[in-house]
Amino acid sequence: MKKLLLLAVLALPAFAQTEIIVWHAYRGGEKTAFEKVVNQYNASQKAIKVSALAVPYDAFADKITAAVPRGKGPDIFIYAQDRLGGWVTAGNTIEPIDFYLDKKLTDRFIPSTMQAMTYRKTIYGLPLNYKVMTMIYNKALVKTPPKTTGELVKVAKANTNAAGGRFGLVYWYSNWYYHAPLFNGFGGGVFDAAGKPIVNNAGNVKSVDLLMRWSQNDKILPAEPSTALITSLFNEGKAAIVFSGPWFLEEVSPKIQYGLALLPTIDEAGGKPMRPWMTVEGVYIAAPSKHKDQAFEFAKYLTDAAASKVLALEGSQSPANKSIYNDPQVAANGVLKAFRAQVDTAVPMPNVPEMTLMWSPVTTAMNAIVQKASSPKAALDKAQAEIVAGIARLKK
Amino acid sequence: MSGDRKGSAHRDRKPGERSHAPVHAFLILFTIVSVYPVLWVFTVAFSGKQSLAIVNLPPEPRAADRLRAITPWPDEPSPKNFVSVMREQPFGRWVFNSAVVSAATTLVGVVMACTAAYAFSRFKFPGRRTGLMMFLVSQMFPGVLTMIPLYIILVQWLELGSSWIALILMYATTAIPFCVWMLKGYFDTIPKELEESALMDGASTARIFFSIVLPLAKPAVAVTALFSFMTAWNEFILAATFMDKETMYTAPIGLRFFVGGFSQQWGYFAAGAIIVAIPVVVLFLFLQKYLVSGLTAGAVKG
Amino acid sequence: MNEKRTRSGEHAAAPPPLPAARSYRVAIAMLLAALVAVGVLHWVLVKRSASLTEARATRAAMISARAAADIATQLGGEGDALVAALRAWQKEHPAVHALRVANNENRSLEASTFPEDLKNGEIPRRMQRDEKPLYDLGQELRANLETNQSEGRKREEEVSIEQRRDGSLLIAAPIEKEGAVIGFAQVHAAPEVVAVEAPSLWFALAFALAPFVVVFALSFWAAPRGDRSFTWLVVVACVLLFVTLFAYRQWAMSTLEASSRSAEQRIAERVQREAAIVSRIAPGAERHANGWDGDQYRQPLKIDPKAAVAGEKSTVANASYGIGILSLALLLFVGTTAATRAKENLVENRQAYFFVLPAMLGMLVLVFFPFFYGVALSFTSQTIYSVNKPYGDIFVGIQNYKEILTDFGIIRHTDAGRAANYENFYWTLFFTIAWTIANVTIGVVLGLILALALNTKNLRFKGVYRVLLILPWALPNYITALIWKGMFHQQFGVFNQLIQLFGGSPIAWFEKPFTSFCAVVATNGWLSFPFMMVVSLGALQSIPADLYEAARVDGASPWQQFRSITLPSLKPALIPAVILSVVWTFNMFNIIYLVSAGEPAHSTEILITQAYKVAFEQYRYGYAAAYATIIFAILLIYGVFQNRVTRATESIAS
Repeated sequence: MKKLLLLAVLALPAFAQTEIIVWHAYRGGEKTAFEKVVNQYNASQKAIKVSALAVPYDAFADKITAAVPRGKGPDIFIYAQDRLGGWVTAGNTIEPIDFYLDKKLTDRFIPSTMQAMTYRKTIYGLPLNYKVMTMIYNKALVKTPPKTTGELVKVAKANTNAAGGRFGLVYWYSNWYYHAPLFNGFGGGVFDAAGKPIVNNAGNVKSVDLLMRWSQNDKILPAEPSTALITSLFNEGKAAIVFSGPWFLEEVSPKIQYGLALLPTIDEAGGKPMRPWMTVEGVYIAAPSKHKDQAFEFAKYLTDAAASKVLALEGSQSPANKSIYNDPQVAANGVLKAFRAQVDTAVPMPNVPEMTLMWSPVTTAMNAIVQKASSPKAALDKAQAEIVAGIARLKK
Repeated sequence: MSGDRKGSAHRDRKPGERSHAPVHAFLILFTIVSVYPVLWVFTVAFSGKQSLAIVNLPPEPRAADRLRAITPWPDEPSPKNFVSVMREQPFGRWVFNSAVVSAATTLVGVVMACTAAYAFSRFKFPGRRTGLMMFLVSQMFPGVLTMIPLYIILVQWLELGSSWIALILMYATTAIPFCVWMLKGYFDTIPKELEESALMDGASTARIFFSIVLPLAKPAVAVTALFSFMTAWNEFILAATFMDKETMYTAPIGLRFFVGGFSQQWGYFAAGAIIVAIPVVVLFLFLQKYLVSGLTAGAVKG
Repeated sequence: MNEKRTRSGEHAAAPPPLPAARSYRVAIAMLLAALVAVGVLHWVLVKRSASLTEARATRAAMISARAAADIATQLGGEGDALVAALRAWQKEHPAVHALRVANNENRSLEASTFPEDLKNGEIPRRMQRDEKPLYDLGQELRANLETNQSEGRKREEEVSIEQRRDGSLLIAAPIEKEGAVIGFAQVHAAPEVVAVEAPSLWFALAFALAPFVVVFALSFWAAPRGDRSFTWLVVVACVLLFVTLFAYRQWAMSTLEASSRSAEQRIAERVQREAAIVSRIAPGAERHANGWDGDQYRQPLKIDPKAAVAGEKSTVANASYGIGILSLALLLFVGTTAATRAKENLVENRQAYFFVLPAMLGMLVLVFFPFFYGVALSFTSQTIYSVNKPYGDIFVGIQNYKEILTDFGIIRHTDAGRAANYENFYWTLFFTIAWTIANVTIGVVLGLILALALNTKNLRFKGVYRVLLILPWALPNYITALIWKGMFHQQFGVFNQLIQLFGGSPIAWFEKPFTSFCAVVATNGWLSFPFMMVVSLGALQSIPADLYEAARVDGASPWQQFRSITLPSLKPALIPAVILSVVWTFNMFNIIYLVSAGEPAHSTEILITQAYKVAFEQYRYGYAAAYATIIFAILLIYGVFQNRVTRATESIAS
């Protein structure tokens, strides 16, 4: 029976080819590599023709929310896991796929990336690439990257001259996404295992205390950080060490020789590692798609070792497929290797809908803290109260 | 305009005429204010780098260093960003698409607004005030939250997804209220005697409108045309949501690719922004002569 | 225009319709209005009773499905005993077309009488690829139950109901094992008709005809008499209309109530019958029988037959008010001369309407539909968790408005002392107004002055200035706004470098509400003056040159010329631009979002950025819509007020 069906699928292309439409937000090198994989797939078989559409990131989530539930969207879309819970809750957007999965397939991926695709114990997508923050340093200024926060402060101090606009450590510390390695490193975070918000827990407060020590006592951080400022400082050779992710590397001027290393361990937390968020781009099948089986075939192809290798080497992405890190060409790539190493301490960013409620209160709290308008504990308490109230109103 | 200038040239240059120097000083000051941030955009675009410009100071900055730091000039000028913007994406095609959509929006918007404004200005009919008010009211509901209902109407009901008609309709309705009010206000200032005498000569309403009113209202039409064009030209979110084909994308969509999400390539964005601004400047140069052509109104009347 | 005025004057002088005809027309209007009123109400009642019937049918089918699931739970969710029990159970239920038990732990179908399942192979067996939806359904029920358990309340649906096109129902209820969901039992049942009967159409017709007969008879009395009798006739007709509507409503509701009561009775009997069957087939499973008549959250529906139609009653009552007003309008419109006048007006001004129509049409479709959508949403508690719920379930009336408008807590008391709560609506409103006034003033004053300067006769380089001055408008504001934000940076911004160049100390622009306000206003002022300049330039051309010539001859100073000639002549074109700028600036989302992002502590948020945050960061769509509607209301009040002021000045000018 199954074989008959397969034969039918194989025989069909002569008359009808199934078109699978994929939406993604890639650009530049990532887009070129992605399109190469699509073309390879289209050339490798005749039953399915994949067409890809790039959508600007700023419009992508709204476009999916508007189009997909109304049956006007693509068959597949690729997006980070942070919106997963929201779309599943809104309904008719993302197709659950655990029925398709078997152990062989799930074993293909780094386990934590699979975890990012799971919401309420159901798997909704195949992990394609992940992004984590790591430590990026200017090789001209930093000879050996610091391994602990103690060393970090020492190196940073040596490279700081506030009057001349030079800073030892630069990261967007007022944005809690960028500060999360410290949040999580101190045993804090945003949700506990049961999904209750914990933004004012002791770990988070301690992490912010450390940040304030860096900014007020050690004075190794610039004021009012933003991505634009950080890029500019690093490109001018005025920032020694940056905490950021692969996206940052695209903006680095070719004149700067940079190196990557694991985020330092935190002396103040008893030598525990910093734990950055990990965002995972999932390949999701649109719930209203009429060609789900074919879409899943392509999703499998896109995440296999051959395609992942193209994405990694030509698109500079970090695939979730774990086997490719044993490939000699990939293993020789210092950048890919560094991000892969950082994954071991990374935490998948929560994918529950309540996650978006965090942003505004915690950002406000972080800003109030760094502007010294409020004590860390008081600011985080306020944020916690707002989030609890927000969740209660949301689930009314 | 030109006739007027020639005629008055001798008369206005007499020794008693006040000097233009203060006016020039004032205009130069404000031109600097208006151009200074724009020069930073140019600096970023020609820097060959992807970072937004920041002031760049040595360790012990002196006044001269600070002055250099706030002067918008790239360290190493390079056209690299422009080349990449045009090569990496079908950006030329998208600018062309934008031009088509914006031109159509301008045409539809100005034509509809002219007829409506003429009726509001010249006819007294029940519902006139309410109608005018409706156009005003239509601008009051915040647009940020109307995406889903618009999507339902245009894509689900009218099946206009991925068509320029959808964009033109949305942009024209956004632009029309201002155009109607602006034109109505301007039509009100045009003396009615001209039309009344034409009406007595047996001219049709259409004829009166095209041969008498419209030529006199050129400055207002120029303003509304520029406004309609700009409404369509820089719009991003609706275009990105409603267009499902890369060949139908508009220039603002192309620009936003550079700065979405984590990665922000300001050098490309600035270069693209300058490319996108060129047609606007050209259009303005073209419309300028209409914008300042209304003085003939006095001449006709006199 | 003069011509128009005289024509309408003629119309006023035309002879009024004959008194007799006018009275008969009231009778006709009465008939029409009564037919419409009773007809529409009847239609509403028929719809309601149909939906009541449907709800009862769903409940009846739900009892079957719940019973089947409890049998399966009792028998462990798999095995031959289960298959045999279900076969016996189905024999007792002629309305049940088919039944299946799916087990997600084994990914199997344990029992099924669905023809499509049997076609795919013998049962029990593993699910096949095209049976994925069954597996997904089981997973969804499991996840929903787990969510409800962990939250300690019933928020997610625990039973799935699907209606097929032929009206038959597919109901799936979870099968549990040691507290965990392992699968579900699904029943495909024809709707068991437990009819709630609608009132009959003939009675409705009789109700509509009665007032007509009365008014018709009275019209013979009124016809030969004067205006006063005519007025009385109209009043009587109006009263009769309401009496009719009210009487019909009362009568129809009592019919509905009686019918509903007997339906409830039958549902209760149905549960008892089901319990008896189950206790025979799978002894023990019937202990759950009390909960079988339940909702989708598996909460028992303990409906008191009297209250059963209470919801319907209020719906019908609300509908009847609307119908009353509409039919009254119809009565008056047809009964008096309003209809003929409206028609005449339409014919007379057809040209004007024709001119306005195209622009109006686009507006109606693309602006007013989203508007009503938003207003409707604002009366609900919709969040991302309830996007698919029917309107009635999430309707909360004016609660969102109350929540926004009655929160006066601008000052918050905390342990650390008093602190301003900048997220309060009234602070944001105050800030929005300050922001709007500052921006529009800057835009208009600068734009006007620059336009005047550019309008200087024989000024050289005019064209160059003009082009350079519109550049802020020509470039996409996404980048120029961020350039401005960069210029305000504490350490690396141009402004602080300038301050330091002159020996000052740098300012942290975004740490104090006032300096932050200055930064956003400077940015937006820069972005908006070119538009005002272009508008003013255009408007300046409408002023005839000879006016100035004459003033100069009279010895008027330039300032006097500006006051008495320029400003009044600019008004018609400038005032609309000012009004619209106010509206646009009030809702200027981009600049705040990009430059200050509300810093510090949300003190520089405006209403629209708050609404955006509620909708897109907190997923509270209903609340955000209420925010948007309030923004609209504020602007509407401003618009009406401004329009009145403008109209006053207009009439003075002419």
